[in-house]
Amino acid sequence: MRLVVRRWKEGWRAPRYDVFEVEADPSESVLDLVERVSLKLDPTLTFEHACHHGVCGACGMVVNGVERLTCVTRVGDVARNGVILVEPLHGFKVVSDLVVDKSRMFSRYPDDTRTLERVAAQVEKLWDCVECGICYSACPVACSYPSYLGPSVLAWAFHRAVEEGRVPAPVASRSGVWSCHAAFDCSEKCPVNFQPGEKIMRLRRLLLRGAVEVV
Amino acid sequence: MGLGEALRSWLRVRGRSAEHVSFAVRRLAGMVLALYLVVHMVDISTLLMGEHVYSAFLQVFASPIGLVFDVVLWAFLVLHGALGLYSALVEAGLLLERRKVLLAAAWAAALLLLVVGIVVILYVMG
Ligand code: SF4
Ligand code: FES
Repeated sequence: MRLVVRRWKEGWRAPRYDVFEVEADPSESVLDLVERVSLKLDPTLTFEHACHHGVCGACGMVVNGVERLTCVTRVGDVARNGVILVEPLHGFKVVSDLVVDKSRMFSRYPDDTRTLERVAAQVEKLWDCVECGICYSACPVACSYPSYLGPSVLAWAFHRAVEEGRVPAPVASRSGVWSCHAAFDCSEKCPVNFQPGEKIMRLRRLLLRGAVEVV
Repeated sequence: MGLGEALRSWLRVRGRSAEHVSFAVRRLAGMVLALYLVVHMVDISTLLMGEHVYSAFLQVFASPIGLVFDVVLWAFLVLHGALGLYSALVEAGLLLERRKVLLAAAWAAALLLLVVGIVVILYVMG
């Protein structure tokens, strides 16, 4: 198996693509492959992961052109002619190799947001979103308009709007729901079927009908 | 973020869903139509230079190349219109559960209108 990795580190003038020849079982995950390369072939290769079972959302990468959680993506399902190309998510600043800075997403959740880690027993996680950032990478608006709040944050705002009948003003502004142009790749690529695209449009409908207050 | 980067993310097709490709086609068609509007303004303003100049300009569009141009323009127009209608409905929060069927219907309508348009352009106008 040939693993091609997009590399970039601070100080480099341009990214480069490194090719690693690795033994691989079709049933193992792409993340296993990346880890093996970093352990055995190139310890300077940087990437993120935690849970290894599709829950923490840390391991999102672009695999052969498609955004995926690499810990639950099998090599045999994505390899093309024995080649897997791994790149960092789009739409975020690359920190090093496959690691991106997701603060444009995390910083938009208010402090009381019920993320997976902060979940209380009486509510669902963050309504199933694992905060992987894949929807940002897939969204042509998020990738070209840095001020856009982004799919998962707006989908979160939809749930809050339904529960509380109000949304913060930025959600109802140009950098909020009105910038979405219905490309729906966020929903198509979301690993947990959270349907951010549909939720953005439902929130728009609520706003158009005056059914939620903008505060 | 530059225009080049924005265009690259809008018009990305590798690994994209039918929805994203449709978004890219709609945007591309919109940009071409906006450009055409400018060209159209220029060609209309040749009237100011006299009727013979305008007529000579129109002759270009009656040539085979002109007909190909018309077909391409029509294709962009129907794609932008049909996909735009799909987008207007889902962007208003309507028919979201059926958005895939709606998108398929928009493409079918665009292709049907494209064929009808090509027949009219080549056999009636041509
Ligand atoms: S909405 Fe889906 S793709 Fe976006 S951050 Fe949440 S889990 Fe990831
Ligand atoms: S490592 Fe946690 S989701 Fe992949």
